[in-house]
Amino acid sequence: MSDDKKNPFEEAYHRERKTRRRAEQLLEDKSRMLHQRNQELEQINHQLLSQQASMLKQEKLATLGTLAAGVAHEINNPLAFVTSNISALDEYHSAYHSLYKLFKDIESDLMQDKQERLQTLVKQLDLEYLDSDLPHLMKQTLDGLDRVRKIVLSLRNFSRSQEGDRDFTNLNEGIESTLQLVQSELKHGIDVVLDLKELPKIYCNPSEINQVILNIVVNASHALKDRPNPTIKISTNADDKNVLITIEDNGIGMSAETLNNIFVPFYTTKPIGQGTGMGMAIAHKIISEHHGSIDVSSEINKGTCFSISLPQHEKSY
Amino acid sequence: MKGVIFNVLEELVIETSGMEAWNNILAATGYEGIYTSGDSYPDEELFALAAEICKVLNVDLATVIGIFGEYLFDQLDARHPVFVQQSSDLRSFLVSVDTVIHGEVLKLYQNPNLPRFSYRDEGDTLVMNYTSERKLCILAEGLIRGAAKRFNADVDISHPVCMHDGADHCQLNVRFK
Ligand SMILES: Nc1ncnc2c1ncn2[C@@H]1O[C@H](COP(=O)(O)OP(=O)(O)OP(=O)(O)O)[C@@H](O)[C@H]1O
Ligand SMILES: [Mg+2]
Repeated sequence: MSDDKKNPFEEAYHRERKTRRRAEQLLEDKSRMLHQRNQELEQINHQLLSQQASMLKQEKLATLGTLAAGVAHEINNPLAFVTSNISALDEYHSAYHSLYKLFKDIESDLMQDKQERLQTLVKQLDLEYLDSDLPHLMKQTLDGLDRVRKIVLSLRNFSRSQEGDRDFTNLNEGIESTLQLVQSELKHGIDVVLDLKELPKIYCNPSEINQVILNIVVNASHALKDRPNPTIKISTNADDKNVLITIEDNGIGMSAETLNNIFVPFYTTKPIGQGTGMGMAIAHKIISEHHGSIDVSSEINKGTCFSISLPQHEKSY
Repeated sequence: MKGVIFNVLEELVIETSGMEAWNNILAATGYEGIYTSGDSYPDEELFALAAEICKVLNVDLATVIGIFGEYLFDQLDARHPVFVQQSSDLRSFLVSVDTVIHGEVLKLYQNPNLPRFSYRDEGDTLVMNYTSERKLCILAEGLIRGAAKRFNADVDISHPVCMHDGADHCQLNVRFK
């Protein structure tokens, strides 16, 4: 074939080859783009789902808070008069007790028929037992009432949402004074390791933040009961935006279910009477009100770690 | 303009005038002629090719575009038969172009710069208002003719309002006989 008379199909063939290469390139580019878009979408979707979950959780906590406030308010009134009546009854009993003692003292001086009548009545009514059991009953009742009072108090603390007294505070000082407060709780040989870095003062309500630390440390001390080398490690740190507190224990740790519910009011794994399940709910609420965050990670039989982050530049508004 | 339009134009030329003719047309316009359906190419390229075809065949542009429109319909139908299959008759097919077909095109390509159609039913006549920066109303007419053939419909197409006469849209009246 001569040069000036090229086969038109050969020319077309070369063109088609280039076209095919271009088409394949295009397919690859589009596939890559599609893959990337898909990844972006998956990521966004993932983000949305977790945001939704945390929103639902927040909503649940808020609803429970309102409910708690209502319950606390309603219980408080009857609690007040029941407590005052019980205290009055306690006094009445001591009046009655004096009378009974007088009877015992003068029993033998009475004429025989009067003495017998009284003794029959004492037996019938089991007055001896009543007299000895009443102080017991009273004490238990008053203890119970005191427990109810504490629960109501923590509910009211939980739902009270004014900002309270805020000031520029050094959190390290708060941590140290809180630890003094729980000395007795930490008696059973718990080692407390502090790693407190220099912190900028932050604008917060110090007694509330101390309460958060207290609640966490008390929980940790419970988790450390009968554990080998019980240790609580508290560290503080600051980056350019936040102050960070971590409180770590090597206690029993918690299950995924507990971890999931730890900030829910009334959620407790402790026996009735020992825990109200409000400690962490209150902590969560306080930290949220300070526009901070509180996170917890835990592994069964290894331990638990709380991380609190509080913004440095939180102004009063 | 979508690459498939170039592909079909190439096929039309090769089918009617042979491979050499297409090679010559490309050579005359200076384009490489590498068109894939997944890409878009400058409108001027299509217009320059059409102009060259007019020269070679010695016919006017409107005729070339009109014939091409009819042929284009058959080729698009061969590639994407579902749109015709989805429609029971020509009228419902034409009405589906703006939303259904262009909707599908939008799923595949970004920025395809599609023409817009709006419709008015006047008894035996379907009035189609066409707007497009490309002003390819003659191509649209050809496509409608191709569609009419495909559906075995006997229609008259008139074009009383045209962007080429200064109007802001073209009006294509499809009268069913
Ligand atoms: N450091 C920890 N290690 C293991 N489990 C923990 C720890 N801290 C909290 N928990 C779990 O979280 C639950 C909820 O804690 P929270 O402080 O809210 O309530 P509580 O301690 O049960 O009762 P209280 O209201 O008296 O504090 C606990 O019952 C416990 O199961
Ligand atoms: Mg607790």
